[in-house]
Amino acid sequence: MTMHDDVPEMEVEPTRRSRLRNVSLIWLVPLIAIVVSLGVAWKSYSDRGTLITITFDDASGITPKDTTIRFHDVVIGTVESVDFTKDLSKVVIGARISKDVAATLTDDAQFWVVRPEVSSRGISGLSTVLSGVYIDSAWDPGKAGTVMDFTGLSSTPLIRPGRKGTRITIRVKDGSLLTAGAPVYFRGVEVGQLDEPKITENGDAATVDAFVNAPADRFLNTASRFWEISGFSVKLGPTGLDLKVGTLGAILTGGVSFDTVVSGGKPVTDSTQSYQLYTDEAAARESVFSASSENAVPMAVVFSESVSGLAAGAPVEYRGLRVGQVTGIGAFLEQTPTRKVVRLRATLAIDPQSLGLAADTSKADTTDFIAHLVDDGMRAKLAATSIFSSGLKIEFADETNPAPASVRTDADGVPVIPSVKSELPDFTATAQGVLKRVSDLPIEEVMQQAVSLMASIQTIASSKGTREAPQAILDLIDEVKGLIAQDDTQAIPGEVRGAIADLRGIVADLKAQGAIDKLAGALSSAQTAAANIAVASDDFPKLMADIRSVAAKANNLKAEELVDAATRVLDNADALIASDGAKSVPPALAGALNEVRAALQDLRAGGAVENTNATLKSARDAADAVAKAARNFPDVSTQLNGVLAQVKSLIASYGDRSQFNTETIGLLRELRQAAESVTRLTREIARKPNSLILGR
Amino acid sequence: MANTRTAHHPLTAREAGLVGCTVCMRVAPAGTRTCALCGSALSSRDGSSLQRVWAWLIAGLVAYIPANTYPMLITTTLGSESKNTLLGGVIELYHHGSWGVATIVLVASIVIPMTKFLSIAYLAVGIGRPHVASRHSRHILYEVVEFIGRWSMIDVFVVAILSALVQLGSAASVHPGIAAVSFALSVAFTMQAAESFDSRLIWDADGNGNSNA
Repeated sequence: MTMHDDVPEMEVEPTRRSRLRNVSLIWLVPLIAIVVSLGVAWKSYSDRGTLITITFDDASGITPKDTTIRFHDVVIGTVESVDFTKDLSKVVIGARISKDVAATLTDDAQFWVVRPEVSSRGISGLSTVLSGVYIDSAWDPGKAGTVMDFTGLSSTPLIRPGRKGTRITIRVKDGSLLTAGAPVYFRGVEVGQLDEPKITENGDAATVDAFVNAPADRFLNTASRFWEISGFSVKLGPTGLDLKVGTLGAILTGGVSFDTVVSGGKPVTDSTQSYQLYTDEAAARESVFSASSENAVPMAVVFSESVSGLAAGAPVEYRGLRVGQVTGIGAFLEQTPTRKVVRLRATLAIDPQSLGLAADTSKADTTDFIAHLVDDGMRAKLAATSIFSSGLKIEFADETNPAPASVRTDADGVPVIPSVKSELPDFTATAQGVLKRVSDLPIEEVMQQAVSLMASIQTIASSKGTREAPQAILDLIDEVKGLIAQDDTQAIPGEVRGAIADLRGIVADLKAQGAIDKLAGALSSAQTAAANIAVASDDFPKLMADIRSVAAKANNLKAEELVDAATRVLDNADALIASDGAKSVPPALAGALNEVRAALQDLRAGGAVENTNATLKSARDAADAVAKAARNFPDVSTQLNGVLAQVKSLIASYGDRSQFNTETIGLLRELRQAAESVTRLTREIARKPNSLILGR
Repeated sequence: MANTRTAHHPLTAREAGLVGCTVCMRVAPAGTRTCALCGSALSSRDGSSLQRVWAWLIAGLVAYIPANTYPMLITTTLGSESKNTLLGGVIELYHHGSWGVATIVLVASIVIPMTKFLSIAYLAVGIGRPHVASRHSRHILYEVVEFIGRWSMIDVFVVAILSALVQLGSAASVHPGIAAVSFALSVAFTMQAAESFDSRLIWDADGNGNSNA
């Protein structure tokens, strides 16, 4: 028992000593474990990054711990929490981003969720289909701001902060052709992008921010002009059909292009310059000559006549040069001594530069300058922009001896330029006069005369005598020719001398025998033919006289041979009459005349005359209407167009008949030639009646 | 008295005035410093045992904290990276419906280590104090703790095997997290704590208590 008690006594001592000895060794293990754990904890705490919050409209696809935040496509942090704002209207995303990166996070940093997106500009964010969405960010690394709460963008920003280039503003009346992300071109090369179009504060225009990337932004200056590229442009103008097709991208999204068309522009600094957008390149280039400058002076003109056709934007010209434009038109009441009258007031913006003044001329100086011009006789008046357009412009014209007037300032403090009655009614009168003269042309009379002329020609041509005359003459000629061709006839000269001496005696015998009567009958028929010819031609009587004398001579002849010859002549004449050649002459003439007749019938049946009459009548009516509507200018213009169309159709109807005209003229020419042939023949016969007998 | 005690539990070497060698099991008279058979240092009771138990236990506990707070597995699937802690993985498995696997993981990585910590602490605290539980039941507890300790490494093996097998480039890959190392260390430390525990002290405490009583 004592032993039992002693043993613990012995053992306790060394245990106490060894406990003291062993303290420092084994306890190192938990110490090291604690130190290492604390080290790891500290490291992960210090590495966990800076907490930022981003407010989004929705958090579609964002999952805590999983969704990453990237900068230049490098992961810089992860989303830690997704919560609502207090009013549950938005989603607040808590995220930790790497400390080093957070040190450069500026206040204007932008965050947006990258999702798969298919748009007209292509497909983007395709990688997120598999990996899930991520939050992309952009900022211009600089000194860290104090703000750690950001508002996320609903879509990928088109112009990211940190990009080098120049941001400008484009003003446009109608922003429908501009879509966010549409390209900005310079000489056909894409150099920038458009942002989302916005409405100006007062709602009078749309503005769109555009970003022109460096280094192309150095081509921008204050003289640059922007114009739309809507993809397609079809223009029918004096130069012909002009078709322009832009790039496919421009067709889909629209776009703008710019160019610096004049020198002298000042360099543009970022986010300060605003540009006007023109509808096309031509307008943009023209604007250099017509653009109202920044210090355009507002002025007004009061008209007592109708300003229908004058619209805002209409040009204001001085001696044909554009010096400004109409900015608005309004009406107001003016109290005259007798009654109240409505007057129309056009407000103008006058560009001092266009008048040759310095660009920085003050308003007062410009007004003074205009006042001087007015004192020298300059007046504002309405003028048509072109003959065929109903549009009006305001023209500053130097009047000779105008009613004295000067520039006065109206209630709004706007200088009012005196106006004179425009020359628009004169134009109407001129048109009226032209139409009157057209209607006064004795067209009907001329036509009537032409018709009667034709009718008389027809009468002549269709008369039996005319038809027979050439035939008879030809018969005669051929007869004579046949006579001359005969050997007997050839012998005549010799024989005649002898025979003639006997003739007188023979004739007496013949008379007794009745042969003379026969011959006389034949000759008298020839005389009848000649008489017939006389009806047609005045030249015939001479021939007739000769023939008569021949007949008389023949009457006096009394010779068997002559009787035989005459008989033969008659036979030959018969044969000749039967011959085709002789027969063909009258039908040819008759045919020609028929054609003339038919042509005339056509002319009547075709209603050319009636048509002309109707046209002229409507022209007259129109002219009357023009006179009536002198105070109603647009109507005049419409009706003038109608009249012009009518006149055109009249011309066209003539044009259509041109073939007919040519034919008629051809026929008349043929007729004349035929008549000339007859005349020549008769002259020949008249000059040398002997040739009938002598054959030469 | 001695017989009565013998009837309740076997006679200890110390009670027999001997000291047993823990290496070759040969007993020597009390007071012998070196084992005559194997030459190991002999001591009837290891006085520094409790210190080492507590030290290893604390180290194991310290290592067990990051094992639970840091990700165990870092799984990258098609570019998306997911990190799972022990408990998070269990909850996720449970949500996916694989409650069997979830239970296994839960038991292996949460229940067993926690039980070990508690058991070792319970045993260590109980040394030198009168105890409600019998010496025998505490010995059984100790045996269980020592036996089951190595099975906690099942998690570490799973992570090691997964990391080795699932390396499919960008499609899918698995990496061990800090927690895997911490957990392995924690298991190792607790095993060390169990190993350092001199179970003979259980008898002494009981014996002391009895003798005092």
